[in-house]
Amino acid sequence: MFKQLRFKIEKRKHVSSLVQLISLSAAIILSVLITGLLMYVGKVNIGAGFIALFDGAFGSWKACVETLLKATPLILTGLATVIAFRARIWNIGQESQLYFGAIMAYLAYTQFIFLPPIILIPIIILFAIIGGAICGFIPAMIKAKFAVDEIITTIMMNYIVTYFLSLLLSTVWKDPNHYYEQSPTILEKFRFPILLENNRLHLGFILAIIATVIIFLLISKTPLGYEIKAMGLNPIAAKFKGINLIKTMVIVMMISGALSGLAGAGELFGVIFRLKSTISLGYGYTGIIIAMLAGLEPLAVVPVAILFGGLLNGSFLLQTTTNIPSSLVYVIQAIVLLFFLSARAISNYRLRIVANDQ
Amino acid sequence: MINNFLQAAIIINILGSMISIATPILFAAMGELVAERSGVMNMGLEGTMLTAAFVGFMVVEKTGSLFFGICFASMAGGFVSLILAVMTISLGVDQIITGLTLNLLASGGTLFWFRMDYSQTSLEKTPLIEFLKSINIPFLSDIPYLGKIIFSHNLLTYLAFLLVPIFWFFLYKTSYGLRIRSLGENPKVADMTGLSVNKNRYIAVVIGGLMAGLGGAFVSIGSVERFFPNMTAGKGWLAIVIVIAGNWRPSRILLATLIFAFLDAFQLQVQSIGVHFPYQILLALPYIAAIIILISGRAHSEAPESLGISYQRE
Amino acid sequence: MTSPRDVIDYHPVLLETKNLTKRFQNVVANDNVSLNFRKGEIHCLLGENGAGKTTLAECIYGFYRIDSGEIHYKGKKVDLTSPSHAVKLGIGMVHQHFVLIRPFSVIENIAISSLEKKFLLDLTPTKKKMESLCEKYGIKMDLNAKIWQLSVGEQQWVEILKAVFNGVELLILDEPTAALTPKEVDKLFVVLQQMKEQGLSVIFVTHKLQEVIKFSDRVSVLRKGKFIDTFNTSDVTQEQLARKMVGRDVVLQITKKRVPIGEPFFELVNLSAANDRGQEGLRGASFKLHKGEILGFAGVAGNGQKELFEVLAGVRKIQAGEILFNGKSIKNQSPAEIRKRGVAHIPDDRINEGLIMDFTVAENLILGSQRDLENRKGIFLNRNQILINARNLIQLFSIVPPTPTTQTKHLSGGNLQKVILARELNRKLECVIANQPTRGLDVGVIEYIHKRLLDLRKEHVGILLFSEDLDELFALSDRIAVMYCGKIIRIFNTLETNMEEIGLCMAGIDGKMECSNN
Repeated sequence: MFKQLRFKIEKRKHVSSLVQLISLSAAIILSVLITGLLMYVGKVNIGAGFIALFDGAFGSWKACVETLLKATPLILTGLATVIAFRARIWNIGQESQLYFGAIMAYLAYTQFIFLPPIILIPIIILFAIIGGAICGFIPAMIKAKFAVDEIITTIMMNYIVTYFLSLLLSTVWKDPNHYYEQSPTILEKFRFPILLENNRLHLGFILAIIATVIIFLLISKTPLGYEIKAMGLNPIAAKFKGINLIKTMVIVMMISGALSGLAGAGELFGVIFRLKSTISLGYGYTGIIIAMLAGLEPLAVVPVAILFGGLLNGSFLLQTTTNIPSSLVYVIQAIVLLFFLSARAISNYRLRIVANDQ
Repeated sequence: MINNFLQAAIIINILGSMISIATPILFAAMGELVAERSGVMNMGLEGTMLTAAFVGFMVVEKTGSLFFGICFASMAGGFVSLILAVMTISLGVDQIITGLTLNLLASGGTLFWFRMDYSQTSLEKTPLIEFLKSINIPFLSDIPYLGKIIFSHNLLTYLAFLLVPIFWFFLYKTSYGLRIRSLGENPKVADMTGLSVNKNRYIAVVIGGLMAGLGGAFVSIGSVERFFPNMTAGKGWLAIVIVIAGNWRPSRILLATLIFAFLDAFQLQVQSIGVHFPYQILLALPYIAAIIILISGRAHSEAPESLGISYQRE
Repeated sequence: MTSPRDVIDYHPVLLETKNLTKRFQNVVANDNVSLNFRKGEIHCLLGENGAGKTTLAECIYGFYRIDSGEIHYKGKKVDLTSPSHAVKLGIGMVHQHFVLIRPFSVIENIAISSLEKKFLLDLTPTKKKMESLCEKYGIKMDLNAKIWQLSVGEQQWVEILKAVFNGVELLILDEPTAALTPKEVDKLFVVLQQMKEQGLSVIFVTHKLQEVIKFSDRVSVLRKGKFIDTFNTSDVTQEQLARKMVGRDVVLQITKKRVPIGEPFFELVNLSAANDRGQEGLRGASFKLHKGEILGFAGVAGNGQKELFEVLAGVRKIQAGEILFNGKSIKNQSPAEIRKRGVAHIPDDRINEGLIMDFTVAENLILGSQRDLENRKGIFLNRNQILINARNLIQLFSIVPPTPTTQTKHLSGGNLQKVILARELNRKLECVIANQPTRGLDVGVIEYIHKRLLDLRKEHVGILLFSEDLDELFALSDRIAVMYCGKIIRIFNTLETNMEEIGLCMAGIDGKMECSNN
C-alpha cells in the first residue's frame, strides 16, 4: 500500500508565552546578524562595531546611567502604547502627545516662574500630564462623536502639533538670541533634580518607574484594567455586559496621552533644557515598537526600553568610532520588530505531516 | 493683498502647482484604492513612498538615467508592499502593525543608507541630480491660462492623472476588476469560484506598491534635485485618508486629492509672496482638512466590507 | 406525480461516499460516513446540531478536503480540491449563510460565480439567461437590485439560481428553510420538485422532522459524526427518525406544571427602534410580562427580534415609545443600570456576545459585575473572593473542566452556555431575557436549561424567551407573541393555539413577506 504524505499547516490552538519568548530571541538573533551584515557592507570591522555598540550602552558605569537616561522617555511612551493597544485603541499619536505635554509644561514654567521650584516643578509635571491627556482626548472625542478611526486622527495630530510647536517657537517663545527656532534656556533651578552625582539621570526616571508600577497595577488588578482588557479582547461582549466602550476609550486615550506628555516634560526639563522641535528623536514611534516587543505587558516594557536606550547610546559611540551613521539604530529597531512579528506569526502555525491512505 | 492674489499669474502658479503636488498623492491613492478594494489596507504606504523616493534618487545618481530611476523606484515600492503582503496575507500579522513597522524601517533605513553613502554632515553636500523636466504638449500648452496649468507638466504627472480613468475602467469594466472588488467585500465568494483569494490580494497589493513607488519617484526625481530624509512628509498618510474621503471611488478620490493639493499649493504661494501670515497654520491645513473631511464624510461609507480582515479557509 | 418508491428503485446512484472522515483539530466531524445519493431524488440529511451534516455537505462541495475515505461521482472516484472543481462537475451548494456580495447587484453576483472568463465585463448574456431561468420557474426577481435590498427569501433564490445557472446536477441546500415563512417553504419545494422532474437531484440538510416527512424521498440520519441509517421516507415516522437522531427516546413534549401567574411588571408600550442599517427595525412593539410567566417570541428571523432583544439589553437606542419596569421608565438606560434592576440577559451568540474567550472562567463569571463591592477590595479586584465564588458556581452548574483559571476558549459549547447561565442566573432576579438559549446544544444540556427556566418560573421570575424552535416555545411558554415587521402582531395563549396558527401568523395576515411602510 502506497501511502501518500501531505503537508498540512494548522493553526495552533494556543500560543504560550514561552513561544513568545522564543520568537523574541529568534528576532534578536536575526537582527544581530543583519546588523553585522550592515557593518560589513559599511566596511567596518564587525567585532569593533559590536564592541562599540555594547560599550556605548553598558560598557561603563557612566554609560549604564546614560542608558537609563535614554530609556526614560521610552518607558513612558512604551507604557502609553501598552495601555492603548491592550484596549485595541490604535493610538499612534505618542509624538504629538509628548510634544504637547512639553508645550504645556513650558507654558506652566513661563506663567508661574515666580514660584519656588519646590512648587513649580510639580506644577510643571501636572501640566505635562494634562497637556498629553488633552492631546489624547481630542482624537478620542472625534472617534466618540463621529466614529472616525483614531489611527488617522492621531497621525494627523502628529503633524499638526509639530507645526503648532513651530509657530510657538517662532513667535511667542522664540529665543531672541538665536536664529534657530527654539526657546530660551530653562533656568537651572527649575530643571529636574539629578539623581546621581556627575550624571544626567534625572527625576524623570523615577517618574517613569512609578508610572510603570501604576500602570501595571491598573491593568492587572483594578476593575478599570479588567474593562480595558475586556474591551480589547471582545468589545461586543463587553458592551453587552455594561462596559461603556466610549467612556473607557476616552479614559484610556487620556491616560495614554498623559504618559507621553510626561515623557515630553522629562526630556524638556531633564535633558534638553530648551523647547525645540527635536526634543523627541522618534520616541513615540520607538515606544510602539517597545510595547509590541514587550508583548503589551507593562513590566516587560522597562527591560525592553533599557535595551533600546542602550542601543541608542551605543549607536552614538558607533558613529564616532566607526563612521557608521547612528541612524543604524532605527534600522535595527524596525528589523527586530519585523522579525519578532514574523516569528510570532509563524509560531502560530505548525507543520503536520498527514498520511493520506490510498 | 487680495489684489496680489487675483493676478492671473498667481492663480496660474497655484493651479499649476496644485497639479504637481497632486501627482504623487494621486499615484499612491489610486494604487491604495486597488489594494483596499481587494481587502488589504496598506498602512505602510508612507514608508513605501519614501523607500521609492530614495531608491529612485540613488539609481539616478549612480546611473544618470532617469528612466532607470523611475523603474527602480516603482519596483522598490512594489517590493516593500510585497513584504507587507507576505506578513499580512500569508503570515496573518495585523495589517496596522505591519504597516507601521515598515514605515519605521523605511524611515530609518533610508536615513541610514543616505548618511552612509552620502554626506554625513550638511545638506548642501548632497549631490544634485537631474530631474524630470516638463513636457509642453504642443498646441495644448499654448492655450492661454489652461495651457500652462494643465499641459505643461512632466511625464509622471500626465501618467498619474491618466491612472484615474484607467483604474476606473479596470475596476468597473473588466471581469478581473469585478473579481478584485469581490475580494474586498466577501472573499468567500471568490474562493468558491476557484479564485485564489490570497494570490489575487498579493497582486492587488503589489500593484498598489508599484503605483506608490511611482509617487515616491515623483517626490524625489520628479520635482526636486535631491533626496532628504523623510521627504515624503506624510503624503502616504494623506493618500490613505484620501481613499477614505473619496469613498473608495476614483472620481471622488481625484477630487479629494485636488482639494488637498490646492491647499498645499496655496500655502506655498503665500509663503513665497512673503505675506506675513503664520505659514505654519497653512502647513497644517491639509492635515486639519483631512480630519474635517473624515468627520463629515462618515454617513455613507462604501468601505469594502472585508477591508482589513484576513481570509482563512479551513 | 411519481411515487417516491418508483424513483428510488430505478434511478442510479449519483454520488457515493465511502468511509469519509473529516477532522478539525481534535474533533472528528465526520467519522467513516458511507452513504449514497441517487439521481432524481430529494434526499434529506437529518441530524441534530453538531451531527456533521453541514460538514459532510461541505466535503461533497469541495470546500473542505477530506482526511480519509473516498467520494465517487457518477461512478468515478473524484478528489474534490475546491468548490469550483465541484461546480465544474455539476455539484452546487446553497449555504445557510449566503455567499453573496451585498453591495453588488444580483446580476453581478451571478457573473462572478459563473464559469465564464472574459476580459471585458459584459453582463447582457448573463442577464438574458437569468431572465429566462426566472421565467421558467416562476421566480420574480429584479436583477439589478443590490443584494442588501432583497429579503432573505429572495437572496436564497439568487443563491439557487446561481447554481442552476452553472448547470448544477446535484444541488445541496443547507438548512434552506431557516429564515422562510411556511408559504415560502412550500414555494421552494414546488420549484425544487419542478427541477427534480427535469433531472436535478437535491440534498437538503435539516434538523426539522416535518420537512423530512413532507418533502423528501429518502432520508439519511447522522449522529455525532457517524452515519446511522438511510430510509425511504414513506417507510418511517417522525418519532422513529427522532429516536435515530438522538439515540434514545425523545420526549417531544415537555410537560410543565401549572403555576399561578402574577401581576404584570414589565411593559413595552409602542416601542420603536432603528436597525443596523438605519431603517425601522421595531415599529411600535407592545407587550406586558407577568411575574411567573414565560412569554415566548416567535417569528421569522429579521422581523425585529434582534432589535427587540438589544433594546431590552440596553445596547440599542429607543427612538419612540416607553419601557416600564415595575412602573418606572427604563427607557434608554445602560446595560449596567438595567442589570441592577434584577434583569438577566442570555445572548444568542455565546462566543461573541456572551463571553470573552481569552479570559478565564472566573473572569467571565464577573463580567458585568467587576465593579460590584463583593468583587473588590478597595480600588483593586479581590482575586481570592472571585476565585472562591467561581468555584462555587462551577460546582453548582456542573461546568467542565472545573478549574476557574481555565481559559474559556477551551470549553465546549454546552459548558460555555453554562458559564453564561451561572453568571446571569446567580443572583436575585426579577426577569430573565433569553435569546436562543439552547441553540446548537446537546439534548442533555437542553433539558437542563429548560428545567432551569421552569424553576425560575416557579420562583415568580418573569421570562422572555426568544426562540426559532417552535417546539421549544410550545413546551415552555405560557403565551407566545408573534413578531412580524417590527411589531408584535398577536399574542397567543399557548394552550389555545397550535403551530399551524402560529406559523400563519408569522407570515403576516395575508402571507406576504414584504413589510409595508405604515
